[in-house]
Order: sequence, then structure tokens, then C-alpha cells
Amino acid sequence: MSHSSEIQPKDIAKPVDKLGEVYSLMVLSAPYDKEGMEPDLKEPKDSWKTKFCASLDGFIALDTLVRPSTSEEEDEFVQKFINGLAKLFADSNNNFLQPLQLTMDYCAKCNTCSEACHVFEATNRHELYRPIFRSEVFRKIYKKYFTPGGKLLGKFVGADIDINWESIARLGELAYRCNLCRRCAQTCPLGLDNGTLTHEIRKIFSQEMGIAPTALHTKGTELQLKTGSSTGMNKLAFLDTIEFLEEEIEEKTGRKIKIPIDKKGADFLLTHNAGEYLAWPENPAAFAILFEEAGLNWTLSSSMIGYDNVNYGIWYDDTMARKVALQQFEAAKELGIQRIVIGECGHAHKAGIVSSDRMTYGEDKVRVESCLPLLWELVETKRLTFNPEKNNFPVTLHDPCNIVRHMGIVQPQRNILKAICPQFREMTPHGVDNYCCGGGSGFAVMQSLNFPDFRNKISTRMKFQQILNAFDEELVTNTDIVKYVCAPCSNCKGAIRDMLEYYQATDRFNIHYGGLVELMVNALTTLEQPYLTFTDE
Amino acid sequence: MLLTIYLFISVLFFIVFSAYKAWKYASMPIHSRLELYPVPKEAGRASYGGSYYEEVEWWNKPRQVSHGNEIKDMLQEMLFIKKLFENHQRLWWPSYSFHIGIYFLFLWTICLLIGTAWPEQAITYLINITGVAGFVLASIGNIALLIRRITDHDMRKYTTPQEYFNLFLILAVLLSGIYAWSGNVLFFLPREIIHQLLTFQALQVDPAVLIHLILLSFMFIYIPLSKMNHYVGKFFTFHKVLWENEPNLPGSKVEKELMEAAAHPPATKWSAPHMNQD
Repeated sequence: MSHSSEIQPKDIAKPVDKLGEVYSLMVLSAPYDKEGMEPDLKEPKDSWKTKFCASLDGFIALDTLVRPSTSEEEDEFVQKFINGLAKLFADSNNNFLQPLQLTMDYCAKCNTCSEACHVFEATNRHELYRPIFRSEVFRKIYKKYFTPGGKLLGKFVGADIDINWESIARLGELAYRCNLCRRCAQTCPLGLDNGTLTHEIRKIFSQEMGIAPTALHTKGTELQLKTGSSTGMNKLAFLDTIEFLEEEIEEKTGRKIKIPIDKKGADFLLTHNAGEYLAWPENPAAFAILFEEAGLNWTLSSSMIGYDNVNYGIWYDDTMARKVALQQFEAAKELGIQRIVIGECGHAHKAGIVSSDRMTYGEDKVRVESCLPLLWELVETKRLTFNPEKNNFPVTLHDPCNIVRHMGIVQPQRNILKAICPQFREMTPHGVDNYCCGGGSGFAVMQSLNFPDFRNKISTRMKFQQILNAFDEELVTNTDIVKYVCAPCSNCKGAIRDMLEYYQATDRFNIHYGGLVELMVNALTTLEQPYLTFTDE
Repeated sequence: MLLTIYLFISVLFFIVFSAYKAWKYASMPIHSRLELYPVPKEAGRASYGGSYYEEVEWWNKPRQVSHGNEIKDMLQEMLFIKKLFENHQRLWWPSYSFHIGIYFLFLWTICLLIGTAWPEQAITYLINITGVAGFVLASIGNIALLIRRITDHDMRKYTTPQEYFNLFLILAVLLSGIYAWSGNVLFFLPREIIHQLLTFQALQVDPAVLIHLILLSFMFIYIPLSKMNHYVGKFFTFHKVLWENEPNLPGSKVEKELMEAAAHPPATKWSAPHMNQD
């Protein structure tokens, strides 16, 4: 189809190679408004088109969704989806039933949510990415099969949709064009939530049809439940990593720190996204430096899943989310600890503190909190002392949706930055009105086929624009100055890392990224050498 | 007499079915937390969207809840459609005109009822003011919403025939009402009809009034069956989903509800292979 504005939800079954091509993108600020500053989008390979569903927009997120070879397989696929849809509104989905039913029942199609979506805006309002496009396709199918009005009155109530393999597969792909940031839900006059609806579509695909991106399921939650970590890191590898961290800390700071592991009687168990140990070891190392200098009684855990706080299940599969969360509680209980502190990982915050809050109760449950209030307390009470001049370069803050919009942790991280970074400036908008980094809901770890193109070019585009704006003139007038994007979230860092690389923003304009604790350690008065060196990115 | 019975039944249906809808949502099982900040009841923190999670060991700190803030936000939403104003002003004007018109018509109905027992001049003024404001604002808003839906390419694409029908139905009720009640003495007729209804008399009306009353009754029956009953759903979307951030602490109401839910495990099972593995 030529122009995206002509696409309608009922076109989802249309027999075309590509339902909607992404032709134009939001123009970025200078100097990225010029030709040649970013790579072009690439066509999917022909072999991918015949194997997977590339017929939505050319991108492929669901690398486990393969085309059927017989009509029986096609019918079976459609039937499974319909079965799953029925289960979504049955007791099998009690934990989401009320919010789901409300969103299904009341949408006024006022389009207030559209402009809130960073993907829709980044693509110059491409119809496929309008928040209610996906919801309407889903609603039409639901009406057609499950409501008396839809069965009796059909088109009159909007149940005007054909269902076949292509339409269901496209809907599955469409569920992975949304970061589940729920910024759209914030604006809805009726309080409806397209993000939750997207989550529910993913749920049918995973829980009923067994289809989810490999990075989230097989190499995510399943690997985590098997080995202890979604990175595949087992206990021995974890213990080796901690030894390596201790050596790194000594080499960098001259301090000999013994990182506490499985310490019974500790006040709290600190958990990190295990990806930090591999990709950004300076982050867990910085936590160790701060906590040891502050004299806190803390520990890490080496038991199953106790050293990896990720929980990809919250993005696509309730059962996997529950299995992982309960195992994480178990790790704390094994040590006799009733308090878990989550390190700098946004989705682990939400999974460990909010999403798992009602998964169990009584003795099975452990109290969980964010590291950010604790870190601010160390600054506020002067338990640690800082020299802000050490961080005298432009710093901006990315608000991870899970920590801020979904949990209301807004001030502690700002208070810290205001205290230790003299050139701190906010992005616009920020706080609970922030834009997603574009890596949310699993996109940051989904690296298969051409999906990274969608992430780098489209879903992270608004965040890149915000970063450019935050540094404004300094971006080009002074490329010698380091500019730091502080992102206290592992997945956000992953998305920002890939974004900066994609747009060569580090090489060209000296934009760097990292966590909050690295900035804190860098500003410690007791540390002689800079902790941040900006050489390895 | 048939008309009198029809009118009574339609109003009763409106009330009973709206209540049934509310009961259906209210009796749904406890769900996972899906709050979105700002949550207005977070005392002292709502202004920037903060929550109790900004405290170290939040579970040991006294929970600061402001029901006043919550009620204030709720009233702003009910009386001014605040979210629409903040996020979609172009649509707010017609929508607000329409909704405030309906509120006036609701007040008008109450005034008419009061007027049967207290036929003072003051109540006549109130009936005239609320009635004129209600019919005019609701009609203008309704027509503007229809025009917007028809002329706006993006809205048109997503609007179903039923959604046009909803707007046309209400417009028909409003316009027929304006025609029926605009006699020499403003709103004399509806006062008379209300009196006849309350004394359970057979209504003697001309065709214009008859058509209006039939349409009005049909609307009362239809609204609770359609998504126009969002006056029910909106309470739940805000109070029970977006603003509901009660933690599951030992001895809490949430814990009790979870224990009750655990006593009734779901009978329906998901079918993907990994769903049935330990």
C-alpha cells in the first residue's frame, strides 16, 4: 500500500507483500538533519520474507513465527489464536481481566493517545503505529468471535475483519512495535490502556501458541530458569565475574574490596541485571565501592537466579514472570534476608516490586525496594562526600518508564544529580512524562534478523532527539567536552549504547552514556583517580 | 397508559442495567498492579508524580494518602474532562459542550421533579436556565462532534456505523426535545408531563411530544447496553486500575483478597508447551 494514512485496521488481512512501508521519519535536530548522518533502512532478505512474517512493515520481531507449509497448519494457527483470545477473557487471565475488559469496552477513538506515542511520532504518524490501530484490529476480532453485537450486527459494530494466517501473524508482529511504555494510557480521557492491550496480545502468542521472540523466551526466561541467568551465566561464572570485579576495582581505584556474597545476616540483598556484569561491570563495581565506603551491611547472592534480577516474563508471559519472580524471592529467603534492593535496572524494578507484588503473599513474599532512595539517603545524610567539580561536564538524565511512570520514583535520582553534577540539565519532557528509550519491553535485547533496524531507526528516535536537544549548542560547538547521558537502567543503557553507535554520536560529538552510580563514584572526594575515563565505548 | 409504562420501564432499565454493569466490573477478581503516575492520592508527591517508593524501606514508613487530592482530581475529570483538555484541546471544546449540556439536562430533570412539589418562581427560573443551557450546549456539542468525526480523516477511519448511530440518536432526542418543549410558555409541557407521570396518569400528548418521548425512552434503554455507559467504566479505569497502588503487605486488604483468589484456582488452562512444565 502506498500511503500509510490510507491503511485501516480491517486491511490487516490484505494480501499484499507489505501492509505499510516506512517511507519518512521525523527529522532530527541539527546536525542530524543533514543527508548521510544516519544509515538508511534496509529491505528484509527474500529468505526472511518466505520464512517469517515480514508483511506488516518489513521488520521481523517474532523469529519463532514461521509461515505454515499446509492449509491445515494455517487453520490450526488461526484456531489457536482464537482459543487464546477466549482464554484471555476467562478465569485463566484473572490477573488482567478487569483492566483488559475496560480497555476493550470503552475506546471512543478520539485519537488523543496518538501524539503521546514516540513510535507514531518518529515515523511521521505512520498509521500502523497509531496506538489504537493495533487495539482496533484486536477489538474487531474479539467482537467478531465473542460479542453478541459482533455476531449479530457485524460491520455495524465494527466487526468487519477477515481472519487468516497473515492477519493474525501481522497482529503478532504489531504487538512488538510498541515499547509498552504506556505513555498513551496517561493521556486517555477514559483511562484506557493500549499498552496493556498490546501486552495481552503478546500473552496469547506466548501462553497459547508458544510463540515469542527467542531473545525473550528461549534465550531469556527459559535460559534464566535453567542456568540462573538470562545471560547464561551459571554460579561458577558469576563467582569468577565477582573476582574479576574485585581486581578491576583495585586496579582502577587502588582499593582492595571483598564483595560480600551469600552473607547471612546482611541487612539487604542487592541484585543486578546480570547483563551489567558482562556489558558494564563498572556499574556493579561502583555499587560495591559506594556501599563499602558507606559501611552498609549488604550482600550479593550466588544462588539460582539470585544474581540476576531480570524478568523478561513481564513483557510477554505471566507464567514465566511468576516463576522467575518467586525464584528471586527464594534467593533472599535462603540467606534469611527479608529485604531486596534492586540495582539500576528499570524492568527489574517493576517486575520485582510492582508486577510481582500480588503474585504471592505471606511467608513466600520478600520486601523489595529500589536502590535510588537508598543512594539518595547516602548523599543527603553525607554518609558519603562528593566533589561535584569532578563531574563538571554536561549531564542529562533519562527516566526509565518502569521506574518513573510505572512506579513514581522521580526525585531521588534527580536530587543526586543536582548534588553531584553542576551541569545537570533535564530532557524535555521528563519525569513521568518522559519518552521511552526505545528499548523497552524487550526491544533492547532483541537482536535477531532486521529488528535492530526498527529499534535504532524508529523506536529510539525520539529519545535520540531528546538527547540532542538536551546538549543543544554544546553538541557541535564543543566536541572536546564529554556529554553524559545518565540512564539508571540496564535495558535503557543497551538501547542508548546501540543508538549512539548507530548515529556515531560518541565518535562525532563525544556523547557518552552510563549509570548513576558511576557518576557518584567519579565524584567521591576520597577517590584520587577519575572513575569515568570515557575510553572504551 | 402504555407510554407511561414504557417511560417508567426505560428509566428503570437505565438504572438497573447501569448498576449491573458496575457490579460486573466491581466483582471482577483482584488484578496485577498497573498503576500509572501521577497517582493523585500520593500526598505531597502527586504534583510531580512521585510515590511511596521514593522512601527507603517504604514498608516501614507511614503511608501518606490524600483522599482530598483524589476527589479533587476526580471532580476535575468529571466536571471539566481535564485529561482531554490537557491532551486534545481541539476535541475538548465540542466534547465539553456536549457533556456539560447533558449535566444541565440532568439538573433540569431534577428541577422539574422539584417543581411538581414546590411550584415557586425560583424553580421556574432554574428550570428555564438549566433546560435552555442543557439543550443548546448538548446539541451544539453533539453536532460539532459529528462534524469533527465526519471531517477528520483519522477519526472517520476508526468510527463504526454504530458510533455514528450513537451520536445521531442523541441528536434526535435533543432536537425533538427542543421542538416538543418550545411552546409559548417555556417548559410548561414537560412540567405537566412529569406531574402526570408521577401521579401515574395516562399521558395525553401531541405527536411531536410522543416522538420525543419514544426516542428518549429508547435512548435510556440503549445507553447502558452500548459503550456510552462509560460513566460506569471510567470510575473503574481510574480508581481501580490507574490510581490503584495499594501494596500487598501482611494483614492488608490486598493480602486477604489474594488469599481468597488463591482458594479458587482457574479452571481454564493455557496450552503452549511451556505452560504445563514445572
